[in-house]
Amino acid sequence: MNASFRLRSALAALLFVSVPASAQTKAAPVTATPPAVNAASKAATAITTPSAAAAPAALAKSKTAPADKGVTLPAAATVTLKNGTRLLLVEKRELPLVSFSAWLRGGAVTDPAGKEGLAALTAQLLQKGAGSRNAQQFAEAVDGVGGQLEVTPGREAVIITGSFLARDTALMVELLSDMLVRPRFDAQELEKTRARRVSELAAAKDGDPRMLGGTYFDAFLFASHPYGKPVTGSEASLPTLGRDDVLGWAKANLGGDRLILSVVGDFDAKALAAKLESALGGWAPAAQPFAAVPATAPTKGRRVLLVDKPDATQTYFWIGNTGIPRTDPDRVAMEVGNTVLGGRFTSLLNSELRVKTGLTYGARSYLAPGTQAGPVVLFSYTQTDSTGRAIDLALDVLERYRKDGMDDAMLASAQAYVRGQFPPKLETGAQLASKLSELAFFGLPAQDVDGFAGAVSATTRDGVRTVLQRVLPASQDLTFVLIGKAAALRDVARRYGPVTEMKISDKRFTPPAAPIR
Amino acid sequence: MFRQSLSWFACVALLGASQAQAQAPKPPPSSKTSTPVAKLAAGIQARTLKNGLTVIVWPDHDIPNVAFNNWFRVGSRNERPGITGLSHFFEHMMFNGAKKYGPGEFDRVMEANGGANNAFTSEDVTVYLDWFPSSALPLIFDLEADRLQSLAFDPKVIESERGVVYSERRSGVDNDNSGALMEQMQATAFVAHPYQIPVIGWPSDIESWRMEDLQRYYKTYYAPNNATLVIAGDVEPASLFALVERTLGAIPSQPAPEPVRTKEPEQQGERRITLKRMAQSPLLQVAYHSLAANDPEAETLELLGLILTDGDSSRLHRKLVEDARVAIRVRGIFSGGFDPSLTWFMVDLPPGGDLPRAEALLTEELARVAKDGVTDAELRKARNIALATFWRKLETNDGRARELGAAATFRGDWRALLDAPTRYEKVTRDRVRTLAARLFNSDHRTVGWLVPTAGPATAARKEASR
Repeated sequence: MNASFRLRSALAALLFVSVPASAQTKAAPVTATPPAVNAASKAATAITTPSAAAAPAALAKSKTAPADKGVTLPAAATVTLKNGTRLLLVEKRELPLVSFSAWLRGGAVTDPAGKEGLAALTAQLLQKGAGSRNAQQFAEAVDGVGGQLEVTPGREAVIITGSFLARDTALMVELLSDMLVRPRFDAQELEKTRARRVSELAAAKDGDPRMLGGTYFDAFLFASHPYGKPVTGSEASLPTLGRDDVLGWAKANLGGDRLILSVVGDFDAKALAAKLESALGGWAPAAQPFAAVPATAPTKGRRVLLVDKPDATQTYFWIGNTGIPRTDPDRVAMEVGNTVLGGRFTSLLNSELRVKTGLTYGARSYLAPGTQAGPVVLFSYTQTDSTGRAIDLALDVLERYRKDGMDDAMLASAQAYVRGQFPPKLETGAQLASKLSELAFFGLPAQDVDGFAGAVSATTRDGVRTVLQRVLPASQDLTFVLIGKAAALRDVARRYGPVTEMKISDKRFTPPAAPIR
Repeated sequence: MFRQSLSWFACVALLGASQAQAQAPKPPPSSKTSTPVAKLAAGIQARTLKNGLTVIVWPDHDIPNVAFNNWFRVGSRNERPGITGLSHFFEHMMFNGAKKYGPGEFDRVMEANGGANNAFTSEDVTVYLDWFPSSALPLIFDLEADRLQSLAFDPKVIESERGVVYSERRSGVDNDNSGALMEQMQATAFVAHPYQIPVIGWPSDIESWRMEDLQRYYKTYYAPNNATLVIAGDVEPASLFALVERTLGAIPSQPAPEPVRTKEPEQQGERRITLKRMAQSPLLQVAYHSLAANDPEAETLELLGLILTDGDSSRLHRKLVEDARVAIRVRGIFSGGFDPSLTWFMVDLPPGGDLPRAEALLTEELARVAKDGVTDAELRKARNIALATFWRKLETNDGRARELGAAATFRGDWRALLDAPTRYEKVTRDRVRTLAARLFNSDHRTVGWLVPTAGPATAARKEASR
């Protein structure tokens, strides 16, 4: 196969775990997307696993046809260690692989004001030297056996995922426990990692704007709430992070009581539990209790952030407000509702902006729920000249849908789609491990998965419409972010609300005038 | 996106390798770690219909779903000036209406029955992908048969789809510096062979593809004898074959498409390009003329690529990113297509970064591999990475369909999945060194620099540089 690929649809590409074969690694965190890494790029999967936990009545009379067999979560052997660490182990022995998903409560929401990116930087340093290995030796130990080990700093958790050949399980446990219990936080590695991260942010601004837009949107929407903090920091905040900051954060936030660890694969659960207990049971609790994240709320009124990228030939726009938390009792209805609005190729948004008018390569909507309500967003892009037309169409779709909802045929279609696309999300050991950890993190039962197909089938037109009217923003309460050529966009932007402007080369993700958190 | 390509053949090699391992040590039946390949692959069946369509089935009933892959041997390699980007545009048009299911109906009906789809185009192939619950199997074949035998060409739909593809181009090339440099590199490295054509197409061609170009493409390249269909998942082979015969068996075969005859003449001296763009960060790309996918040294190249760029312990990452700190990222592409293509190195620099120094260090390291080769530990590591990657891909229906399709298309036989181990085991340090010496010849390379220009980003660049 050669160098260039052109996909028909970026939306579906998110479901497309193995075309980017190397991206299999990268795709794993996508399905595992916790509270909110980069919502925009993970849109389609952001709300993948609602549950019927809060709707037991609906579950009881599932209308699922026999043809639409669902999937069930394998029962996990669960162990809680003395220090509070929770282990969930599932034997899956068809292939000689072992995968794990470790969730550590306390992500970007714990970053002090002005020190955005501290949790992420600390997390990234966990594999830059730990136990008896320096950074290079650690990398050699992982790569040498064909292992994968990835740290994904998130909004409310630091997530470490790994995949090893089964014969290397002992090494995997050793490396993971070294990272967690005995990280070195070497000063030179810190300085290198920090500098590289600053450069990566600058480089990302030269790349596809789809990658960074969600960060601007969250920062603008949640300006005075921890959900607004850029997870990996900004070019302004990163240089202020020193080793004392890192050590302080690690002491306060890393510890056995913060860890949920799920392992799925080709092993003996009893033996592995014993091994993990001896490796992690002595890890002290974090020095600081985790402070619950304050509630978020929808903002009132309209406002627009215009981010100037002077060479852009296309405008990228995000429109939305605050949506729902991961545990919302209406999450299944909302998933069905979002599927119709912007969660699949034939969604209302993609039909209007791509299929009917050819204005864009893609239009979609997504939710990124956390322990608190996360954003609900409409997203698309179009050439600079058609920016106003595309935004008007998106707003028109939103308003009509919010008012009228969907007809019976559309409901049946969305139900079939959501049910049909669910099983492949729990096909691999890595997917199962991350689902187990995610449910434990949010305090959700296995029924979230096992009852999913039934709960989808039990949704009704009126029920979904009621939820849509609660969750989708009204047209007078909207936050807009536009990235594009400001000189050509100022007049258009003003049509949607009061405009704040910044440059893409500015070192923060918030406009200079925005309140400092 | 990039490393992916390298791994397809890794997988091919590895499936075999792991099977060889499984059989060589004869593990006791209780040992579950080394026997599954033979068991997994035992259910695979293949058949070629009278009209030339090859059908491969890999049954697996873990989840009640199916992955459908239809591989057509057509890509930008089959294009010429005037119709560049047509293969990819045609891929879009395959979703825009046929005789029974009109515009928009393919997607609407598929999604209403629980299915999703996508497609991709490369220089060599165009591949259509459907994922659906097994209950939708007959319907999916009804949809596919309709578009494969009676596609509609509505001028209005064609015009609208041009806009979609143009937007795709703006995101992937015009507003993405790395994509922009790659396009120029490819156009420079090949002077004769159509690998010089960007898959997305040149803008003036996007504006001017004609109806008759599309119709000719459909008839010539979308013939059953130019395709390989792979189905993986919750199906029974016997009834699946019957279903395919019933739905696609009547589509007539066509004369084989014109072969691509042009061979790229040997490059005689380095080529260099500079691309000036408003940016904060410089980029370096270096591309050497290299191997085709079915080259006997394909696995050697793949392992060499893993040693050079895979993971934080790889040579180029160590040297450029960790030690000299001239780069923030190094990536590579080490796999070919039907014809000899390029081996790429892509180096992202920090704002204010030193392009000449990054280039010199890269060149120096490649010269070292060519002269001294790699270590036993490096070769062992590369084999382990390839092996683990292979297993990960076989975890899903989608991955299984993809691996079979790639083996059938680029190796000419899906069984290449099973007999690759011999070739793979034969990769030695000496072969790695010999190949590196042969490929990393500066006369056979193209070097591209993306140089940031003065603009609103300049001030930030200065401040950010250390």
